[in-house]
Amino acid sequence: MMDSGFDRRDFLKVLGWGGAAVALSGCGNTSIEDGRETVVSYSEPADYVIPSIGVYYNSTCAQCDAGCSINGRVREGRVLKLEGNPASTINRGKMCGLGQAGVQHHYNPDRVREPLLRKGDAGETITWEKAYALIAEKMNGVSGEEVAFLSGGVSGHLKVLLGNYLDSFGCKNHFVYEAVAPGVMRAANKKSYGVAMPRYSINKAKVVLSFGADFLGSWVSPVHFSQQYAQFRKGVDGQRGVLIQVESKMTLTGANADRWVAVRPGTEGILALGIINALGTATGDIAAAVKEYDRVRVSKETGVTPGQIDKIAALLKLRSPSLVLAGSAAEGYAHGSQNAAAINLLNHVLGNIGKTVEACESVPFPQMAPATGNTAALKSLSDGLAAGKYKVLFSYAANPVFTAPGAMKFKESMAKAGFKVAFAHYMDETALQADLVLPLDSALEDWGTQVPEYLATCAQVNIQQPLMERLHANTRGMGDILLALLKQRRAEEYKGYEDYYAYLRGALLKNKGALGGANVDDDTFWNETLTRGLIKLEGPVGALSAKANAAGLKLPAPAEGDAQYPLHLIPGVTASLRDGRHTNQPWLQESPDPLTTIVWDSWVEIHPKKAAELHIVEGDIVEITSKTGSIKAQAYLFPGIHPEAISVPLGRGHEAMGRYAKGYGVNPFQIMDAVYDNETGELAMHETRVRISKTGQRVIVVKDEGSAGGSQAGKKIAVRVSTDDVDLSEEV
Amino acid sequence: MKDIREDIAWAKINTDVLKSLENPRKLYWVILFFALAAFGVGVGCEIYQYSVGMGVENVNNPHVWGLYIATFIFWIGMSHSGTLLSAILHLMHADWRKPIYRFAEAMTTFSLMTAGLFVMVHIGRLWQFYYSLPYPNERGIWPNFQSPLLWDAMAIFTYLSSSIIFLYVGMIPDLAICRDNMKDGWRRKLYTLLSLGWEGTDRQWRNFRVTYLTVACFLIPLAVSVHSIVASDFAMSQQPGWHVTSFPPYFVAGALYSGCAAIITLFIILRYVFRFEEYMTLPILKKTVRLTFAIAMVWTYLNAVEFASVWYSHDSASKDVLIQKATGPFAFAWWGMIFCGSVVPLVLAFKRFQTNIPVLLVVSLLLNLGMWLERWMIVSPTFSHGYYPWTWDHDQWPSLIAWSIVLASFGWFTLLFMVFCKVFPSVSMYEVKEMVYHRSLHLKKGETAEQGAH
Amino acid sequence: MSVSNLLENWSQFRHFHPVDDKPHDPYKWAMSIDLDACTGCNACSVACYAENNLPVVGKDKYAHGHSMHWMRIERYWDEDVGVAGGREFPDQGAQFLPMMCQQCEAAPCETVCPVAATNHTADGLNSQIYNRCIGSRYCSANCPFKVRYFNWYDYPTTDNVWPAEMSQQLNPDVTVRGKGVMEKCTFCVQRISAAKVAAKGEGRIVHDGEIQTACQQVCPTSAISFGNLVDPESRVHKQWKAQQVELDKEAQAKDKHGEEGGSSGLRGYRILEELRPYPSVMYLERVRESAV
Repeated sequence: MMDSGFDRRDFLKVLGWGGAAVALSGCGNTSIEDGRETVVSYSEPADYVIPSIGVYYNSTCAQCDAGCSINGRVREGRVLKLEGNPASTINRGKMCGLGQAGVQHHYNPDRVREPLLRKGDAGETITWEKAYALIAEKMNGVSGEEVAFLSGGVSGHLKVLLGNYLDSFGCKNHFVYEAVAPGVMRAANKKSYGVAMPRYSINKAKVVLSFGADFLGSWVSPVHFSQQYAQFRKGVDGQRGVLIQVESKMTLTGANADRWVAVRPGTEGILALGIINALGTATGDIAAAVKEYDRVRVSKETGVTPGQIDKIAALLKLRSPSLVLAGSAAEGYAHGSQNAAAINLLNHVLGNIGKTVEACESVPFPQMAPATGNTAALKSLSDGLAAGKYKVLFSYAANPVFTAPGAMKFKESMAKAGFKVAFAHYMDETALQADLVLPLDSALEDWGTQVPEYLATCAQVNIQQPLMERLHANTRGMGDILLALLKQRRAEEYKGYEDYYAYLRGALLKNKGALGGANVDDDTFWNETLTRGLIKLEGPVGALSAKANAAGLKLPAPAEGDAQYPLHLIPGVTASLRDGRHTNQPWLQESPDPLTTIVWDSWVEIHPKKAAELHIVEGDIVEITSKTGSIKAQAYLFPGIHPEAISVPLGRGHEAMGRYAKGYGVNPFQIMDAVYDNETGELAMHETRVRISKTGQRVIVVKDEGSAGGSQAGKKIAVRVSTDDVDLSEEV
Repeated sequence: MKDIREDIAWAKINTDVLKSLENPRKLYWVILFFALAAFGVGVGCEIYQYSVGMGVENVNNPHVWGLYIATFIFWIGMSHSGTLLSAILHLMHADWRKPIYRFAEAMTTFSLMTAGLFVMVHIGRLWQFYYSLPYPNERGIWPNFQSPLLWDAMAIFTYLSSSIIFLYVGMIPDLAICRDNMKDGWRRKLYTLLSLGWEGTDRQWRNFRVTYLTVACFLIPLAVSVHSIVASDFAMSQQPGWHVTSFPPYFVAGALYSGCAAIITLFIILRYVFRFEEYMTLPILKKTVRLTFAIAMVWTYLNAVEFASVWYSHDSASKDVLIQKATGPFAFAWWGMIFCGSVVPLVLAFKRFQTNIPVLLVVSLLLNLGMWLERWMIVSPTFSHGYYPWTWDHDQWPSLIAWSIVLASFGWFTLLFMVFCKVFPSVSMYEVKEMVYHRSLHLKKGETAEQGAH
Repeated sequence: MSVSNLLENWSQFRHFHPVDDKPHDPYKWAMSIDLDACTGCNACSVACYAENNLPVVGKDKYAHGHSMHWMRIERYWDEDVGVAGGREFPDQGAQFLPMMCQQCEAAPCETVCPVAATNHTADGLNSQIYNRCIGSRYCSANCPFKVRYFNWYDYPTTDNVWPAEMSQQLNPDVTVRGKGVMEKCTFCVQRISAAKVAAKGEGRIVHDGEIQTACQQVCPTSAISFGNLVDPESRVHKQWKAQQVELDKEAQAKDKHGEEGGSSGLRGYRILEELRPYPSVMYLERVRESAV
């Protein structure tokens, strides 16, 4: 794509100016002469800018942490559309709706554009020099223990730089916090399989039994799993894969199941043990552990009929290999780890280890491996803040004021930090609490490397490169900021790196040999790497423990009904909004929720039976009250939810962030109780108990579904056929 | 009872009718003011709609047509009465039509003009309206001659121009009377110009008769076709509830029905406002009422035919639409239509109500309300309950803008009508004279016969 | 410009369903969508917004039915779920259906447009000429699938639809539509044209796989195939053939089996085929396991 000796920075600059000229002439609100020195006119473009011809660059999607490789179409210096990069083993040229909206993250009108310093309630625009100087001043005389750095998941060279920066003043307080993350699963897997994140081969399984793992929607690496799912459905020799989903609230994956089993909230582990019991193949201490879980008892406790348990067991016995998944819905309880252990045990009993649950390679540079975390990290930060331990707090790629459970009172504890710095894309709830807000580049204008936590078939380092010149002159990449901060501390060591780009290039070229570029010169290696957008590696393969361990497996009896708070609150994690970090992207707001088809607002899913009992109809504004607080939202009658539970989706209810997010819906994080998983200390997101009451108001629910609801009115529109009546092996 | 007194002097007829052209009474100004106000509000709404977009009508994506199309059909329907009274009854030598056909014809012309406005109000890009006309252009781009909407445009245009000619031709002798009775001024100049040098010679009368008859014969098939074509907008489509073969006669019957009802309303108003009691007599009203009743029953019958043919067909989608009309969110309007269209006219069957002016005024207004509801019930329920269940029934209550424009159309119509009544004689003087003459001849014959018997 | 010109040329440019004397050659674009693979994730719909400059209308306008999603995902439940006396839970999941313009061969929308703004192209697309459209909306009224979307407002000038920065994302290959015109799925005609032009330059026809529609390209489960139905090598052709679905029939082999009470082993069908619009999109029925 590019000759050696060709300066990419200049190239982008030129491209960017060209883009700016087009944009400005398009909207006519700024003079193109304004502070611009070079504007390339179309009459004399550089030879690599051909007006009306798109050029394509590979990069990495930053909308979630799955690490899908993307291919951006750039025309006249503007990035227009993202497609998947077919070379990636993770997404193989495919994408999800959330990823598609990445361009709206980049072009968002509500981005922070200048460094802002708090002046009372307002922000004052300052220069970057002043901002850096201010940080240096605030850090002066502060010990490492008195600084806390809160971040979302980080990996690659950014993680290395961040680690080095924290090291430079002896700080060990790096809190990695992701509001919606499989924290319990990592710990449970480590115990059951010996690795935190094994490779799940859905495509090799004949039956997938998933306990609340929404692998088609929001779980771990949905685009990758969706592709595997397509292969799984086609099956081997026309033997189509069967999906059974056990959960209390139907997820997108549940909606695609052959059999969706509604289970009483929190009893997933009991059902798993009941299935092991019904299989009758377990021996030794496993058999002993499940002895008491006969079908009658299990049926009584879980609400699943004995016949259904038998059918599932029979199918699992008949079709092997199978795959059992434990997802966040099973893990979101105080006994979440035990639930996950019981479910993982099924994989051992069914002999799936090594067949569909496989060991995976990891990236041979442990310092670049992703740092992950969940609410436990936030809790210890919050405790520390509340105790007044921290004089300086940095926050990057996290919005804890919005996503912390209401009972944690994070906003109050955050106020106790001496000086709060937020690296922000939007003025979100957390940035609003900060003293200094530093605007970040978007993922489409920044450099970086990323290592996905879930590696599909081989180890892979993803390259993130700018698809166009900065949209706003005064935003900076996180890497550049960290480098600048490091230069304050270790000027000597980093003086050779003019910017993060130089650092990244240097770091990759230094390890050229290990990265598969041993036989080529630097420029060729660099250009080829950028062209591919990713580096595939041979990495060490983790060892799976094949031995099942049922020791210490103890499941509590299902929770007794609570007269004051009779219902479980299930926070819905949707594929497009997740924890709410992308709510300000209008495509996502207007993209209907797949199951309810609701747009632009929150809703309360309630089973029609329960609704009839409470005299609630669609559109009633109901108040949901937990021990921690209450929220009000519109009711939606939804058959795919257990009558003992209600569900409110996460991600909406922003009080800040931008024009497309602020004021739409409610935030269920606000009313979450502080109940934690017994073993890992992660937030038990499904443990909040609530009561629901009508407020007397009623609205028309804004949704795509018409008055016929989900009925086809007897017409042949979306047709279904039984496996008995088709022969998939004959199909193209 | 006799239709008209045989002893009215011809000069009195002239004076009485010409009096309606003189300075109006206060009531006239009041009506004119309200009409103008309603029209003005509508113009404002249309300007807003034009600049903002059709969304302000509060129709939506599957439900793309709303009040404008319904009201368009209503006004097209209204236009049929004039043709019925002047052309058909003229051919049938029904003398009693003579005092009232002029204003009925004016009504035809003005309601067509109103209907035409709704086509404009309805389309999304008014500024490109001329694309639908088959005007010659060097690019060789024609409109789509397969589209019933295009037939509509042509039929309405033809019908409008023909009715204007018919109205005008029939008015020539009266215009000459006006010319002869006017003092100098713009009116006299206007009448001189329009009366085309009418002197009342035998030759002129002969030519006039032939022309009038020819235009009348030409107009009748046009009237039938124009509403059949409007019906084709629906019947030619594939949608359930619209794809009905009986729609053309059903639409024509509905049109005559609403037209007759409107004639009763205007009859009563003109009779009162212009003191035309001598000419618009109760016996004539009674005949009109009886005609209306007959048409009401034809309409009811055709309605029943439509329901039955849908009910007993194998087309479940159409049946669903019918059930939806009777039970869905439009039920109030649909039952309202049945009540106003089929039950209320039963009042007209009673002799004592056939000349009861207050009752007739209310009934005729209700009939037209029913006919307006009928048009709405043809348009809207199919959209909210079509073939595709996913798109059923979005929020489709028309906005205030839409209602205002509908109301404005009544203002516009009234405005045109009121102006017409002040500028042109709304009762045909020469035909009333004819009628009186015929009547006296008839009486004389009777007397002679009586004498002979003695 | 004469009446004879009009009469003579009329039959040439008004040409509805596939007839033997004028077969599609060399292209007939068609699609097949495997509902068993479709998960209802909505990625196709968002990709369509990105590719085709669809406006985000906002909550209020969405509430009034003014949404502009050319591709919508419909979610159906079994008829006996959640009603009195029926099943308590949708224990066989939901049914998802991506619905967009079916590019009918005998399109009901085409015949009714007064200005011929919607037409059939030689390669079997149902095209919409925005410049010609006067906004009578008759096409939408006559569309059985209700997949046509009208510009009720002037979205390019509406606040927060495309603020200055966002307007830079607009695809220059696709017109931004102003108020008063009808629009709908085009099968990404801009991508088709580009590929056709490129192929023409090389003196060949477009190969299968050269054109991907935006929805097809993004679909994580590859549920959507798009291609040239008259090209025997294309995947779409093979799929239609394997399912014995014929473009110009209103009842297929599968339906005949169905009437006889047997099962054909086929799962290809077209929606509302009995109305004879001859849609160019074949759906493959969703499959559900009988053993569990």
